[in-house]
Amino acid sequence: MRDRARGCLLGLAAGDALGAPAENLTPVEIRRRWGRLTEIEGGGTDDTEYAIFAASMLVRRGHGLTSHDVERAYRTEIIPRATGPMRGAGFSELGTVEALRRGLEPPLTGLVHQHGWSDGLAMRAAPYGIFCPGDPAEAARLVEQDGLVSGSGEGIAGGRAVAGAVAAAMAGAEPRDVVQAALSVIPADSWTARNVVRVCEVLAAGGPRGRGEEAVEALHEAVVVRHYPWTDIAPEAVALALAAFLAGDGDVEESVTFGVSLGRDADTIGAIAGAVAGASQGEAGVPARWAARIGPVTGKCLPVVAGRHVLDTADELVEGL
Amino acid sequence: MSGDRIRGAFAGLAVGDAAGWPAGRHRSALHAPWSRRLYRELDAFAEEHRVTTLPVPFALNQPVAPLRIGPSDDAEWLAWTALTIDLRGDRPRAEAFRELTDVRARISVATALDNLAKGVEPPASGHDNPHHFDDAAAIRAVAYGAIGRDPTEDAQVTNALDGVLGARAMAAAVAEAVASGQVGRAVEAALAVLPPDTAIGHNARAALDAARAAGDPFAAVPALDAVLLDHVYSYAVGAAQTVPLALALAEAAGGELGRAVPAAACLAPVADSAPALTGALAGACGGFDAIPEGWIASVRTLAGCCLPDLAGRDLIEVADNLTSHLTEGIA
Repeated sequence: MRDRARGCLLGLAAGDALGAPAENLTPVEIRRRWGRLTEIEGGGTDDTEYAIFAASMLVRRGHGLTSHDVERAYRTEIIPRATGPMRGAGFSELGTVEALRRGLEPPLTGLVHQHGWSDGLAMRAAPYGIFCPGDPAEAARLVEQDGLVSGSGEGIAGGRAVAGAVAAAMAGAEPRDVVQAALSVIPADSWTARNVVRVCEVLAAGGPRGRGEEAVEALHEAVVVRHYPWTDIAPEAVALALAAFLAGDGDVEESVTFGVSLGRDADTIGAIAGAVAGASQGEAGVPARWAARIGPVTGKCLPVVAGRHVLDTADELVEGL
Repeated sequence: MSGDRIRGAFAGLAVGDAAGWPAGRHRSALHAPWSRRLYRELDAFAEEHRVTTLPVPFALNQPVAPLRIGPSDDAEWLAWTALTIDLRGDRPRAEAFRELTDVRARISVATALDNLAKGVEPPASGHDNPHHFDDAAAIRAVAYGAIGRDPTEDAQVTNALDGVLGARAMAAAVAEAVASGQVGRAVEAALAVLPPDTAIGHNARAALDAARAAGDPFAAVPALDAVLLDHVYSYAVGAAQTVPLALALAEAAGGELGRAVPAAACLAPVADSAPALTGALAGACGGFDAIPEGWIASVRTLAGCCLPDLAGRDLIEVADNLTSHLTEGIA
């Protein structure tokens, strides 16, 4: 279990770092610059730091974690240090901080800003799956406590789907069953579920050539919102990340590099695909050259986690099982 | 009488639509694209040269008429709604949207049209939509409210959750204002359809409290900014912000359009639609005859800046036609 936990968070950090320079680029532009982007160029982003933060709450509160614990953590550990610009934070985190400053409480803090469907919860959902191996429903219930502070609706569904997928992968489920586990913990009548089903259909129709340019195009056509300038939409990012995991048949490098080749919120897509594939394959499944690039986080997005390493975080989570 | 108040709702919306600063931006869509590109370059120029002289929509070799005070996107979408309402209710509402081509529309509507084209039907067309929460349906709901109809089916084509609640609240408020002319009763009718545990329901009550404490619409502007607007997101057409503002400012003004709309226009981020919604509600309360003549003259003729087919149409005639069709339908 420790091995899968370490693989999961290492995969998350590697996907985050690999995808960072491709964020918001089109697949065509990514191919023009790198061909296939396979080498980590710089550090990770908010995905890794918020995942470490989520894990720290789980380690302290365990299965008793409530949205009020999460609210308190925002008030005591994030807000006092967010005096200037909140680097790396998305609209949902900033909107939540402003809502908390206005004195609101969850779930209103996640409802009043307009990014309830942000993939901010999905990007940090992996620790909840690690904490509930083989129990996707409990992983989804726990991540929702986190999500009620900063998200709503599809944002919470996206977090539930990723936590459920990781929980299943932690127990050694096959890729197809991992995706079924994600679907099992979200409403069938949701944007996220409809998008996950769509990408599964696209990949099924694509056959063995399911990882080439045609697949990239077909996946975009299936789930990418055209008339919207921001890319951090959970129903889209989660579906593309699970598609990448399926297209890579659970292999970490294949899944993550394909996920990043999709562009859009590439670091979050890479992080989710890496987390699910890493949980599935264990620490040795993450390419050694990637693992060597993952050091302690700098705290550039969340100062409270500066100096923490994802591997120590994984060990702490497993000790709490 | 209610005909005067139905006209008041339509004209009031157009007045508010014209009063907000984004109207000039929308109306400049009638200019050549290169003209708007120059505008963007001048914006960059101000940034590069650190000059505080900011560009405004301008007419270089272009007609100046679009830049005069006049109605823009919201008045056109209201007119389109009134012209396409199916009073017998036997045609799926999405069909009217499917007939739209070559339009400018909010992100919610543009995405919904994409969804419909892909075979994603309502309510998913409005729900699987990054701007499901915006007030596009609330604007259209003014037409439904004016004739006492339920806007839900129309709203669900392009919106969901707070976006649909915003439409229901506007329709309820306008229907009551048309019936009684009482702004207090209109606000109560809106609150009755806004659950307090939703963002829009919470914000509506918070906005009303803030405006009541300030006692006057203009005096309430800073408090409303503090209570409703977080200034985080890049767009400010959320129904959970603009509909509560309309309710609060119309009530604080005692239903007087001339006091409510200017205050809404002062809230710059939401000036695209909050003044329009405020104007619709206040216009319905006070009626058409209470709206200054100069404003009516300036806002009644549609520009076609979003829906080109509506260029030159008279919004008041559109309102009157809706009323007469309704009367014939009842008879």
